Amino acid sequence: MAGLPNDPLISRRTLLASTAAAALVGATFGSARGVKARMLSGEVPWAPGMATPPEPLVPNGWLYFTPEESRAVEAIVERLIPGDDLGPSGKDAGCAVFIDRQMAGPYGGAERLYMRPPFVNNASPLFGPQSQLTPAQQYRVALKALDAYCKANHGGKGFANLPGEDRDKVLAAMEKGEPNFEGFGSRPFFNLVLQNTMEGFFADPIYGGNRDMAGWKLIGFPGARYDYRDFIDTVTEPYTLPPVSLMGRAGWTPGR
Amino acid sequence: MTRALSLKTIALGLALTGGSTAALSTVALADGQDFVTIEKGQYLATAGDCISCHTAPGGKPFAGGRGIMTPFGVIYTPNITPDRETGIGAWTADQFVASMQHGVGKDGELLYPAFPYPFYTKVKRDDLVAIKAYLDTLDPVRSEAKPNGLPFPLNIRTALMGWNMLFFTPGEFKPDPAKSEEFNRGAYLVEGLAHCGACHTPKNMLGGDKSDKVLAGGVLDEWTAPNLGGDLRTGLGGWSTADIVEYLKTGRNAKSAASGPMAEVVYYSTQHMTDADLKAMAVYLKERAPSPAVPAPKPVPAEDPVMKAGLAVYQDNCSACHVSNGQGIARLFPDLKGSAVVQADEVETLVRIVVQGTRAAATKTAPTGPGMPAFDWKLNDVQTAALLTYIRNAWGNAAAPVTADQVKSIRGRLTDTAATP
Repeated sequence: MAGLPNDPLISRRTLLASTAAAALVGATFGSARGVKARMLSGEVPWAPGMATPPEPLVPNGWLYFTPEESRAVEAIVERLIPGDDLGPSGKDAGCAVFIDRQMAGPYGGAERLYMRPPFVNNASPLFGPQSQLTPAQQYRVALKALDAYCKANHGGKGFANLPGEDRDKVLAAMEKGEPNFEGFGSRPFFNLVLQNTMEGFFADPIYGGNRDMAGWKLIGFPGARYDYRDFIDTVTEPYTLPPVSLMGRAGWTPGR
Repeated sequence: MTRALSLKTIALGLALTGGSTAALSTVALADGQDFVTIEKGQYLATAGDCISCHTAPGGKPFAGGRGIMTPFGVIYTPNITPDRETGIGAWTADQFVASMQHGVGKDGELLYPAFPYPFYTKVKRDDLVAIKAYLDTLDPVRSEAKPNGLPFPLNIRTALMGWNMLFFTPGEFKPDPAKSEEFNRGAYLVEGLAHCGACHTPKNMLGGDKSDKVLAGGVLDEWTAPNLGGDLRTGLGGWSTADIVEYLKTGRNAKSAASGPMAEVVYYSTQHMTDADLKAMAVYLKERAPSPAVPAPKPVPAEDPVMKAGLAVYQDNCSACHVSNGQGIARLFPDLKGSAVVQADEVETLVRIVVQGTRAAATKTAPTGPGMPAFDWKLNDVQTAALLTYIRNAWGNAAAPVTADQVKSIRGRLTDTAATP
């Protein structure tokens, strides 16, 4: 019970009541995206052409970030994953675009999170996120605070205009939670961006990041392929098939 | 069917309670029907798969209204329930027999050969009378026939006189005394009621059977009905009689699975037939014609860029079920190596299945209908063509390559949205 919040407003009873309410809301309305469980009996339903294809990213500029925010996010992901001989940087791999689409979508809007009070500061991580802000709002607030922090401490320059070394220093400080960000803490923001950058670097390329499957090539992940029976007896030998995205790979087209 | 069953129950009840046979036969005769005939008629109507065409999607069984796509336009099937005004309740047995054997309606009007009377003409009169007796036990359903979508001059039925002169040979089945009883029973079913040739015999420009190519494979509604001849590559040469029986009884065997229109045939018809009849049909199909050696084309070489692309598509999308050696999983995922459909000259089924996916028939003995998902959302015409060229020429298969234009053209014609039963 050590992790239970000490807030007198939260009794065991209200906690139970709010959990029940959440369950009720979930059962009545399903999730915000409209996906509901169904009871099936007999055969699995099938119809010609039936498929639930993923929605590939349409390259049409920034959907959520302002031009200034997008520059800052690009400047962050470029330092979290710097480019080198082995592969592109987080920026060149499209991580900022990935995060932009994330923030414009259900994840950014916290559509799958319970976003009602009580919100408890300093709760154990076991209790999940405690911010009243959706991830998209967290980016908006924290990027503004980051800009203010950099301008105040680095000669009036915003984060995106800092040289790489200074950007690393700022990020390292944020990781320790040293800068005091107004509205959303620098440390949780650092953790959020780091998490989203890794997601962008290793998610399927159709979502904007992991361009040309660069992340998968680095770690030898074969992607959306699901038959390894031919290789199961030769696990000590290198796996030579190139990675494949949900929407395919160059090798699917003759002559490429 | 309900009435047939209730008649059965009454008959059984009478027999059990010691009701006199005289009383029973009086009841039966008063109805103009006897139980044995009705039961036989039900079996034969099932063997003829009447319900499949004479039921509209979501409609009442046998009440007609299903649109049959022909190259000439859509033809809607009539109501064959015993409703006196909109069905065939007012038809005499003779009128029914005439329709089946000669393609003429109650008032002598000519019927379109989308109704397979060129096959039913071979059915014995006794059997046809039994089918009528069975149909008369159905619940009458009031359902007017929908007007056909045929253009002039095909909408004038007398035009069919010429068609009948050219392509229709009336006459009941004549057994071949040199062949076994089993072979002749199989021939009677395949050539008659089961009307296999309606799909599996290629058609000429006017929709008549190509008489020199009986059961050599046809295309219907963008489905390929494979060659039922003995060719090893494109026919039934690789199937034993046991393979054929299992396919018709359960909807699948170690090599293939029935999907599309054949799934309907298995679901409504062949799974309900006796093992003896299925074996007879298989024996007939295997013995009917000696295996003609159709020269196989040279396979497209593996180093061809199209084959390489096809292999890449196959590895990433297909091999999880159909296995990298093409052999699939017996009775679950069809074997593509050596498959007649895969190597057929006509590629409608192949394109359709990759574009739309498909599902195998779910039968009493094999109640799971394994499905294949659609791939049109991730494969374009060029990639689909490369994949099909690959499976037609890998693992010892050999068939002409498929072009992107072929894929595009067939894809554009896929309108059927009816689900497999």
